[in-house]
Amino acid sequence: MLADDAMDCHVLVIGSGGAGVRAALEAAKYGDTILLSRTLTGKGGCTTMAEGGYNAVLRAQDSPALHVQDTMEGGAWLNDPALVEVLVREAPERMRDLLAWGAVFDVTEGREIAQRPFGGQRFPRTCYAGDRTGHEMILTLVEQLRRSDVVQLQEHVAIELLKDGERVCGAIALDRKNELVVVKADAVVLATGGGTRVYDISTNSASGTGDGYALGYRAGAELIDMEMVQFHPTGAVYPYDARGRLVTEAVRGEGGVLKNALGERFMERYDPVRKELSTRDVVSRAIAREVLEGRGTIHGGVHLDVSHLPSHVIEERLPIMLEQFLRFGVDIRKEPMEVAPTAHHIMGGLRITPECHTTLAGLYACGEVTGGVHGANRLGGNALADTQVFGKRAGEAAGKGGRRSIRIGRGQVEVQERRLERFYAGDTNPAEAARQLRLLMWEKAGIFRSEEGLLRARREISRLSGLIPLASSRHSLVECCTLENMLLLSSLIVEGALLRRESRGAHMRVDVTQTWGAKDSSFGHTVQSLEGRKIERRGA
Amino acid sequence: MKQITVKVARYDPEKDAAPHLEEYTVEVNEGARVLHVLHAIHDTIDPTLSYRYCCASGQCGSCAVRVNGEPVLACLEEARDGMVIEPLRLTVVKDLVVDMTGILTTLEGIVGRGEAKVPEKEQVERLKELRDCIECLACVSECPAIEVAKFSGPTAMRQRMRIALDPRSAGVEIAQAIEDGLFTCTTCHRCVEVCPKEIEIPGKAIEKLREIANREGFTLPRHREVAELVKTTGRSITRTKPTFLEQVPEVIEPEGEVRGEVGFFVGCMYNGRLPEAALEMIEVMRRNGIRLIIPHDQVCCGSPLLRTGQTSFIDELRRKNIEAFAKRGIKTVMTMCAGCGSTLKNNYRTPFQVKDITEVLTEYGIEAPEKLDLKATYHDPCHLLRGQGIREQPRELLRMVAREFVEMPSRCCGAGGGVRSGLPEEAKALAEKRREEAEKTGADIIVSACPFCEFHISESTDKPVRHIASVLLEGYRKKDRKKKVPAA
Repeated sequence: MLADDAMDCHVLVIGSGGAGVRAALEAAKYGDTILLSRTLTGKGGCTTMAEGGYNAVLRAQDSPALHVQDTMEGGAWLNDPALVEVLVREAPERMRDLLAWGAVFDVTEGREIAQRPFGGQRFPRTCYAGDRTGHEMILTLVEQLRRSDVVQLQEHVAIELLKDGERVCGAIALDRKNELVVVKADAVVLATGGGTRVYDISTNSASGTGDGYALGYRAGAELIDMEMVQFHPTGAVYPYDARGRLVTEAVRGEGGVLKNALGERFMERYDPVRKELSTRDVVSRAIAREVLEGRGTIHGGVHLDVSHLPSHVIEERLPIMLEQFLRFGVDIRKEPMEVAPTAHHIMGGLRITPECHTTLAGLYACGEVTGGVHGANRLGGNALADTQVFGKRAGEAAGKGGRRSIRIGRGQVEVQERRLERFYAGDTNPAEAARQLRLLMWEKAGIFRSEEGLLRARREISRLSGLIPLASSRHSLVECCTLENMLLLSSLIVEGALLRRESRGAHMRVDVTQTWGAKDSSFGHTVQSLEGRKIERRGA
Repeated sequence: MKQITVKVARYDPEKDAAPHLEEYTVEVNEGARVLHVLHAIHDTIDPTLSYRYCCASGQCGSCAVRVNGEPVLACLEEARDGMVIEPLRLTVVKDLVVDMTGILTTLEGIVGRGEAKVPEKEQVERLKELRDCIECLACVSECPAIEVAKFSGPTAMRQRMRIALDPRSAGVEIAQAIEDGLFTCTTCHRCVEVCPKEIEIPGKAIEKLREIANREGFTLPRHREVAELVKTTGRSITRTKPTFLEQVPEVIEPEGEVRGEVGFFVGCMYNGRLPEAALEMIEVMRRNGIRLIIPHDQVCCGSPLLRTGQTSFIDELRRKNIEAFAKRGIKTVMTMCAGCGSTLKNNYRTPFQVKDITEVLTEYGIEAPEKLDLKATYHDPCHLLRGQGIREQPRELLRMVAREFVEMPSRCCGAGGGVRSGLPEEAKALAEKRREEAEKTGADIIVSACPFCEFHISESTDKPVRHIASVLLEGYRKKDRKKKVPAA
């Protein structure tokens, strides 16, 4: 193909979860916008799977300052305070957008948006639509999108960002027929979501393979805190293939109790005040510890019980949980669920300003692909808010950017053609390599980490990266590209984890004896880019 | 791990003339879902297998396929040895991947009035019933109306009703909904049956939109005539001959010992148009020791009005019917019309139990009839199979009386939902499909359990179409003839 067959637009948004769709809706106010997504619009990403809720300060008894404080404390003070301020200030405004577009959130008798308590928060500020909150949001957003002028390129996979000099100016993608297409844009918004599919046990959808981290990194952007991977405390533990499936925090928010195999309400030992509604990092480690020390169930989990709640409360507030567990023969109205931690969210990502500029000209980012908003541990309910607040900001900033005449050398396309060509002569089944990688990451870069394990992971990732994934036909090209992204993301996680010689939030280094708390840690962000990697010092 | 062998539909339009089934044997874990079988095939045998999936937890609606002919979400359906996995009945892009974007992009969103004021709790509860849709398009792929008429489909109508219910919306253009096929739905409930979220689209969207159409004066003229008839005569059928109720006493005693007693709700079709079938049914009940109480003050159940959105005097009908049976102390009311049965069970709150005749007969147990020298097939009435969940009972009875019983696929015949009267061409086209299916089976007779289906299908075929009770009676008569003429 020739570079001059390219599609052209003002803003190219990559990713169709909550952040991407929100960004596209906003960008479209300023010019021609293309929304490119590797799945059908809205069906990929994790927004549609998000269950519990959306944090917003809506009541007089609550306050933005408290939400900021909860978020910073939950994030082990690694968050970028300017980003947190924006998140908290604008989450209610973005909620109002959703409501104006027809979102159906649960309401109180007094016709106010209902809110439930979530972990690590001193006020019940999590708005919800049963336990299908993200689904409600994505339905609402996609309905707006269908009425907008945004051009959707569905089931197109971005495999590299394009640059004009130092500036990002579009992307190369594989279309539905696995043929290369070029999209030129004055600005690009990365909204590709997270990547915990690099772990054996994960809540993420199939598209959570870290494509955006890889695209951004290869284009030269800075990424921060990539070691910060959130393990959600409660994922399903059986049957085997359902391991990791999210059991929403709303279960605990509605009063669910955690017990080990001995029947002990063990959270009383780990966080006597907040118990089950402690922050996710604390609850995850507690569950992992109980299981490691032999107090787990036969499936390697602990019990999460709501059977003391009235049936109608479970049916109304947790219908998806009820339905999913019934499918596997467990009636949560009568018996406990079995749960264990599961890789859920990557707090690290592309470094952004409050206007969602990355460190590269022409490249903006929003949602899970960014770093800094959630620090070292994300509060439940802050991610959905993040998608809307920063989705809008990214779309706006990209839209307001100037128009340019873009020149793309033929060279960049040729590089990709050669990259794909190479897969046809590959030597490794990409599915098998991905399987090995997921096991490795779970073992060596999971909840408990040590230098020894991380170095082992580094060697293995390096070995796997040396293999060439095999594409037996063009139908496998995407899978080969995805494997490369997964390997790159894994490497970023492991290198970040090696750089950070402290336990902080979700990152637990068992080999480091620590005398300082999170608030007075001298360590700042870990930073990785093509230029190199380092850990920043606070106040330095 | 366990081994599993499945067949998967493969089709690459660039290479293949038509789809074909390919057999694979793979290792999967205990409790594996259909999706994991597809993963295993893709990862270990054939990386060119195409299928769509994403969230793997039943929330994104990407992975709907047909397993043994029935739409399911691949990520939730447990994998079984020997299953056949095929794409939904939509345009196939490759293997199990179908084109979804063409339909999804046409789904409407809310056009707000610019007010962000949220709905009230009660409104939220009603909206939520229509809001679970994950847009998997299983309903669209199985809707019989779409095959023969211009219809935007079940989920599009669901979305329309969702918009209509929302106080933030500027409202719906009901004329547009009609243009998009609001009246083409036969209320067959196939969409509900295949919906992973079991959204009650006919009852909670289609019929409610038709109510709006009614209020705005858009009801089809033929439907209005029916409503007028019910209003003035209590019946949806014009009297052209002596009715069933005119021919029978209020109580019909059985021949021998009384084994049971039911009230009989005759319904307009068996009362006015096909009274012979209802009279034949009486013989079957008498022979099996079941006393029938037949209140003559019963009226139309209201089904033709409910299905077409004309609900202004439905409460009156409900009251009359409930009173007719309740005041006689009847505990069980029997219907032999699937439409009446479904309406009494789903649209009434009755102080008595309602049972279809096939339930009554199989529960009491019946005298074995003589087998008729017939190859019979059975047409599932939508309002019996999906409206009342009755599948096995009529088959059990049919097997007792027919020499050979052959299945045909369960599909709507087009008689329901006011389509036969309102859009006769569509109804005819669906009946025509029934005729084709029945002919494929080579059956001599089509048996059913609904007067609407029987009457409607019989217009499209030369084969006899009869209620199961009539066939049973024929079996009894044959038995009696044999007794009278003992073999020499």
